[in-house]
Amino acid sequence: MQEQIKEASYDVLVIGGGIAGGEAALNLANNGFKVLIIEKDLSIGGKMILLSKVFPTLDCSACITTPKVSEISRQPGITIFTGSEVKKIIKKTENSFEAEVLKNPRYVIVEECTACQLCEQACPVVVKDEYQFNLVGRKAAFIPFTIASPKVAAIDIGNCILCGACEKACPPKCIDFTQEKEEYTIKIKSVIIATGFKLFDPLMIPRYGFGLFKNIITSMQMERQLAPTRPFNTILRPGDGKVPCKVAYVLCTGSRDATIGNPVCSQICCMYSIKQAQLLMGALPMADVTIYYLNIRSFGKGFEEFYEQAKGMGVNFIKGKIGRISEKENGNLILRYEDINENKVKETEHDIVVLSVGVIANRDAATLFPDEQLKLDAFNFINQTDPLASPARTSIEGVFVAGTASGPMDIPDSILSAGSASAEAMSYLIQNK
Amino acid sequence: MEVEKGKTFKYLREKRDVSQEAKDNLKSFNQIKKTILDLLKESDLTVDQLTQKIGMPKNEVVFYLMSLVKFGFVQTGAIDDMDEYFSYKLKK
Repeated sequence: MQEQIKEASYDVLVIGGGIAGGEAALNLANNGFKVLIIEKDLSIGGKMILLSKVFPTLDCSACITTPKVSEISRQPGITIFTGSEVKKIIKKTENSFEAEVLKNPRYVIVEECTACQLCEQACPVVVKDEYQFNLVGRKAAFIPFTIASPKVAAIDIGNCILCGACEKACPPKCIDFTQEKEEYTIKIKSVIIATGFKLFDPLMIPRYGFGLFKNIITSMQMERQLAPTRPFNTILRPGDGKVPCKVAYVLCTGSRDATIGNPVCSQICCMYSIKQAQLLMGALPMADVTIYYLNIRSFGKGFEEFYEQAKGMGVNFIKGKIGRISEKENGNLILRYEDINENKVKETEHDIVVLSVGVIANRDAATLFPDEQLKLDAFNFINQTDPLASPARTSIEGVFVAGTASGPMDIPDSILSAGSASAEAMSYLIQNK
Repeated sequence: MEVEKGKTFKYLREKRDVSQEAKDNLKSFNQIKKTILDLLKESDLTVDQLTQKIGMPKNEVVFYLMSLVKFGFVQTGAIDDMDEYFSYKLKK
């Protein structure tokens, strides 16, 4: 730890550099406010930057996200700390806060790295690539992913063997193992919480066999397989490398299920599964795709047409509740389910099963304010004290919420929510000048 | 301690030990990599064929094989007549 604590001051601290946090920061900076984004990951862009396409337009997600994150990174009014975390925020006066921020070392001088990837080639260590949801390996010296922002290498020090190969290979000599954690005290006038959501962990439903049966994957693993920067050359079963022919989607995995403590609808799993089914039929024209659902909630603009389009393309929809998934010797999976329309229990064999995992609250922000009470709602999302008239307002004056930190929502709604948070923060800052 | 630019790993090596897990992981990967590359030198192989020769679970073979594809050691070959399994070959 460096002995000296660095100090800085900004108008607004945005916690989380996903699409909501980035949008809110950009709106504020475009209106002349000085913004600091704290992102715990090595790149901004959140979960959206890892998606293949977006529903219902099937626009390339990277093509939307990349210019946006580039604009955020280049906006002179925005400072970004990646690989950093807010430890606590104290309300000092009625209109000011002080945040303790910890910046973790990247072991690479960000300004000097040219993203040549020679360090990555030289590194002998291979570990699971979390950005590809463990489907393939990455090096200990690595660039998180192709469109990461900043596109700068980082050293995974926990897995590094300190062989020095990366340093020897680095032309601008920007790898720096002398970097240490840095502590900052940040003075701010307002805070926007945009910490996003967490994906449901399907290990919590043992009867689905996730983790045990290797050809059961999550929807984010399938999302990566469908993305242009995918881990494999085509869609493959991770259990044996077979090109799957019969694909099943299990909707509401960890959503609308009080037995696992998450009774809320994820708002997105119907539509992203329908999107993936359409993309799969493009990638694997001979594949049969079946979606097992409780209800299809196609509530947004163009969603019903998108659902009808999937049916028209030949995606099978079965209103059925999955009881159990078992595995055959050849790695195929047997889904035992209740066909709700026929009132019968049936079994069907599939090559691969995709669990359409739901959205759960990220509670990281809940403990950031030791002297104030940041209220959460019944599902542990940040409580909106006045959701109709002032949707970004929280229980703490001067603290606002953006995006899925306040509840499950899709990307357009997250961006709208970020607009609301930035507008309310601006209004607050102007009133308290 | 004076730190020479380009050799800063020595500085950190003085300050902290490399975990045994990281060392074991590297050793294990190098062994698997050598085994897969040696087998692919002889002929193109599918995941199933590699699994039989190595005696490792199929999902682990997929992980290491795909990592070797990603790092440029191996490339994807032809798919079988049933359009189910690719073969893999050394990248030349």
